[in-house]
Amino acid sequence: MMRALQTLVMALACLAFTGVLATSIWTISGNPTPVNLTQLLTENMGRSGVEHPVTAVLLNFRSYDTLLEIGVLVIAGIAGISMAKTASLEDPAMRTSDSLLYALQRWFVPLMLVLAGYLLWAGADRPGGAFQAGAVLAATGVLMRLGGSPMEFLRPGLMLRLGLALGFTVFLLVAVASAIGGDAFLAYPPGMTKALIVVIETVLTLSIAMVLLALFVSAPVNDAEDPEEGAPS
Amino acid sequence: MTLWLMAGLLFTPLAWAVLTLLMNFTWGRLVTWVGIVVQVLVSLGLWLAVSRDGGFYYGLGGWEAPLGIELRVDGLAVTFVLLTAVVASACGWHAGVYIDADKPWHRYFWPLFWFLWSGLNAVWLGGDLFNLYVGLELISLSAVGLVALGGKAGALRASIRYLLAALLGSLAYLLGVALIYGQFGTLSIAGVVFWLEEHPVPAGSSLALALMVTGLALKTALFPLHRWLPPAHGIAKSPVSALLSALVVKASFYIAARLWLELGEPLGNLAAAQLVGLLGSAAIVWGSWLACRQLELKQVVAYSSVAQIGYLFLLFPLTYSVSESVTLQAQQGITLQVISHALAKAAMFLAAGNLILSTGSSRVDALKGVSRFLPFSLFSFGLAGVSLMSLPPSGGFAAKWLLLQASLGSGQWWWVLVLLVGGLLSAAYVFRIYRASFLESSETDHFYHPPRSLEIIPMILALLSLGLGLVSAEVLSVMALPFEEEGSP
Repeated sequence: MMRALQTLVMALACLAFTGVLATSIWTISGNPTPVNLTQLLTENMGRSGVEHPVTAVLLNFRSYDTLLEIGVLVIAGIAGISMAKTASLEDPAMRTSDSLLYALQRWFVPLMLVLAGYLLWAGADRPGGAFQAGAVLAATGVLMRLGGSPMEFLRPGLMLRLGLALGFTVFLLVAVASAIGGDAFLAYPPGMTKALIVVIETVLTLSIAMVLLALFVSAPVNDAEDPEEGAPS
Repeated sequence: MTLWLMAGLLFTPLAWAVLTLLMNFTWGRLVTWVGIVVQVLVSLGLWLAVSRDGGFYYGLGGWEAPLGIELRVDGLAVTFVLLTAVVASACGWHAGVYIDADKPWHRYFWPLFWFLWSGLNAVWLGGDLFNLYVGLELISLSAVGLVALGGKAGALRASIRYLLAALLGSLAYLLGVALIYGQFGTLSIAGVVFWLEEHPVPAGSSLALALMVTGLALKTALFPLHRWLPPAHGIAKSPVSALLSALVVKASFYIAARLWLELGEPLGNLAAAQLVGLLGSAAIVWGSWLACRQLELKQVVAYSSVAQIGYLFLLFPLTYSVSESVTLQAQQGITLQVISHALAKAAMFLAAGNLILSTGSSRVDALKGVSRFLPFSLFSFGLAGVSLMSLPPSGGFAAKWLLLQASLGSGQWWWVLVLLVGGLLSAAYVFRIYRASFLESSETDHFYHPPRSLEIIPMILALLSLGLGLVSAEVLSVMALPFEEEGSP
């Protein structure tokens, strides 16, 4: 009885919230916005170095957000591997010996690698870019792991940490290079915008894939743990 | 010069996060201590530059708002940048000695520490609603990572709970940001305020403010959304607890306060302001009461944070449709409360860590006899307690004095009662720790003596929080500086 009442109250609260939100969105969408950002974006596209507006916003106009977001991904990767205390993140016990998967993998892995490369390149003038390419690359890694291909680089050693940090480091170095030259933080030097964005996108793809893959494989936790503060060790 | 300082401020924590990620704990500690010196110097330089020339907008990547992201570098922001530098370097120094260097997973402490610092700076300087969200995410995720670091099931449970609360808060905030963007077409706070000054308030925009403030209140652990805080702050390592209580909860409050001060007048209403104040008062009373009843030392300090956070939310009723002078008093009082609580609570958690290290138990009743063996740490704990009890000349006293004046000046006498009761209750839980430590018991007489540096750090922080009341006028004068409204320098 109590439980049903609880569910009912919660359902009503959710409905009421959805109603208020919908009304609010309805009112808002009826009015034109005072600042026309789309037009401003179109006017400045020529100075952005790329042809696709999403890439221009992500890697030029609002590149600070992207830099910090990559930082968030690196943090997630760090938090993930900090909990996996096994010597190797690659666990032989979790390999499958499914012959179908093995056969599929031969077809899929090269295809997915090409697709990741294509998505990265497409980011310049149509939807695509580092995040999508990185996700496909990570999915390739997941498939390889399930199929039992050896991936030595996934030990939680220096290589893995270098891989996690690579994209972020390059992005950060580009950001600070212009600041040392007397320009604002994250400003691209004129004429080199396109080249720098392509370099950043490429290394970001690798690092994003590495973070996602590390999170996927670092799931198991073993027993060696820290005693709590003040607890007898 | 100022441009280089800004670049240094943004670059250093992020660069050190990457550097320390590639090292083990011992090397990371060495590199971190170098980085702390750099970051403190840069923060101090920026503070001096702003206190001399006034604030400015800093357009990142050379783009101006609304197309790009602008940082708002004003007196309040650089004051908090400097506060962060002081508290974080104290915690970093303490952690380098306190944390066991032999456990392999502790190598990840330093990168998370530096990412946390960069997130805090991003929030203090942020002038863009979405960029503030990214800053909050940096802070929350690295804080969760620090709580969970090498922990047992209890720590993992606390950190997952923390993560879910923080994510829910972030999502509510983000929903509000999306509504604001849909309404005004810009993410820049200054842009929205500028438009609202000259036009009538469009319908439906109050919901956005309400959603953002609710989400941020959850992340700040305002009563009754405070349940995630004590387990997370209590179970983390003491330097981490100090960072979380002193700075992390302040970041989400800072955004809520900025939004309220800029948008509260057009988009808010009186009932909402009074409701937030009422919840803050409930937090003061309920948090202090629970702090008096905890059996574990760090839980006492954590519940004390819940209570002290309550004071901050008195900003909402004390700045809504009141006279200019009352608003100013309330803002100054809250700023002092943020600073003095950050210093005092960091000191308290670090001292509590020393006491736990010394007695080998986290319980309050294990403190018997410790006053003879560890008077120095206990004294730091008490000095920090003086600021929480808001006795003169501490920063806490100056803060509550200003809040009292603001309450009386605006005729809202009911907050005066809350301030008085809160002070008495905080005295009760601080003295409770003292009572336990002065009991003489013949059973235990061997206590571990922590290294001298561990004892000095909380003492410095406690003295700073105590002395804040004496220099409050100077601290507050930086906030009232002129602000250059026209673009970047």
